[in-house]
Amino acid sequence: MLVEVKNLSYVYSEKTPFEKQALKDVSFVVDEGQSVGIVGATGSGKSTLVQHLNGLIRLKNGKITVLDIDLSAKKPDLKALRKGIGMLFQYPEYQLFADTVASDVMFGPLNFGFSKTEAEEAARRAVNMVGMDYDSVKDRSPLELSGGQKRRIAIAGVLAYRPKILILDEPTAGLDPAGKREMLSLIASLKGEEISTVITVSHNMDEIAEFSQRVLVMNNGKLLYDTTPSELFYRLDVEALGLSLPHTVRIVRLLKEKNIILPEVLTEKDLVAALLAYAGGRNA
Amino acid sequence: MRDVAFGQFYPADSFVHKLDPRTKLLAGIVYIVAVFLCTSYYSYLACFLFLVISIIVSRIPIRSVLKTVKAVLFIIIITVVINILFYSDGKVLWSWWKLTITEQGLIFASKMAMRLLFLVLSTSLITLTTTPMNLTDGLESLLTPLKWIKFPVHDVAIIMSIALRFIPSFMEEIDKIMMAQKARGASFDTGGLIKRAKALLPILIPLFVSAFRRADELAMALDARCYNATPNRTKMKKLTFTGRDVVAWVLTAAFLAIIIMLRTGFFGLL
Repeated sequence: MLVEVKNLSYVYSEKTPFEKQALKDVSFVVDEGQSVGIVGATGSGKSTLVQHLNGLIRLKNGKITVLDIDLSAKKPDLKALRKGIGMLFQYPEYQLFADTVASDVMFGPLNFGFSKTEAEEAARRAVNMVGMDYDSVKDRSPLELSGGQKRRIAIAGVLAYRPKILILDEPTAGLDPAGKREMLSLIASLKGEEISTVITVSHNMDEIAEFSQRVLVMNNGKLLYDTTPSELFYRLDVEALGLSLPHTVRIVRLLKEKNIILPEVLTEKDLVAALLAYAGGRNA
Repeated sequence: MRDVAFGQFYPADSFVHKLDPRTKLLAGIVYIVAVFLCTSYYSYLACFLFLVISIIVSRIPIRSVLKTVKAVLFIIIITVVINILFYSDGKVLWSWWKLTITEQGLIFASKMAMRLLFLVLSTSLITLTTTPMNLTDGLESLLTPLKWIKFPVHDVAIIMSIALRFIPSFMEEIDKIMMAQKARGASFDTGGLIKRAKALLPILIPLFVSAFRRADELAMALDARCYNATPNRTKMKKLTFTGRDVVAWVLTAAFLAIIIMLRTGFFGLL
């Protein structure tokens, strides 16, 4: 059990007219090796939930245990927690600050007690891992890179200290279709080799259909469903929750109306395979 | 960051909230003048009562109002301490080296503290009860006479409202950047002064970058819609005085009259 959340509730700006209940009695468990999607309409509490996981929001009601660190303790070891659970925020490129790419990527490792040479080595590894050439970018200013490159560097800045769990908050927001595709295949490749457990917050359902084995559906601060993507997109009423369907599922549905019955696929690859199989079956 | 209340609008349905912003601004100026006219303890008492009554009528919880003092408490304390230690007239109560505490000094310092406190509380009461939009509209309207001397009143008003409009956005931005850097292991509350100041760089640089980006985008959006500060732009919400404002003027005038009379000893009648 890597992450355990029990009866978590949270209220923003308590006792002021801005008071807002963001989370209501949320409980779930994430095991090692899972890739979990958290979905929900804007304001459903997704971001508040994940910010609790690495102690950015102080736990008030409920119990959270992450990597054997009890967050309800009086002084949880936040450094160890944050080293173990990397968090990539929405538009992570806006957090870049250092004068060179190298020192920006080394910021995390140095904060977590790496030595200078270890940090440099970690930075080289992380930058190469996100598909950029360390030696050619290390001395450039992060601000002169393109949007997609900046985001890669920001990801490298998190990967550099080798977290066990990676939390991604809307990793493809604001990217063009090509950039989105690149980002998604990058995340997919990381999931296998580098990081065992990935938690993705998104309202892009294509992303969820493509990568998650499990989906948590948030609605008005409550955990509505804890289910699989195929269950969610093929059995449950997704649109009533203010969410859209992934394109793959939409195509399967449209074909069903034309009496072309395909298996319940989620990923693009499976859809193409199913279509080819269907076409092949008709020709034979 | 969310807890910084200084100058933030606090929504409520009250007499003070519904007043015309011009009334509140003028009353604020009158109050500040009155505070500086104060000499006797009675006049300070009058200022205190006027303020407390205004706060009660505004239906803003005392806690939220007092929060605004927190930001300047340090300045007030420093002022008081310096005034106490270096005021040398009057009956000496305690002295050491060049430092003396005198009876006069204590009185002077306490009055000084009250003045500062009243100034901060009264101005923050205005911003707590008035939306930034209303405040700039009111200011623009009050400054209109300056158009006679070719002062660009509207431009100044729009600059002000843009600046005010962006304060909450930047607070949110700072919040986000801080979280992102904390997630990367940054800590902002450990170490000595220099270490802490250095720790702020990873927040300040992204903040400035984003401020410039937003400014660029806003300027472009204004240009794209052919915005210019032409004279005689019409307003969506016109400011109008109501009976409430008249009541507020009369009360403020009465208050000012009391302060002046206390200062002059009721024109020698007392």
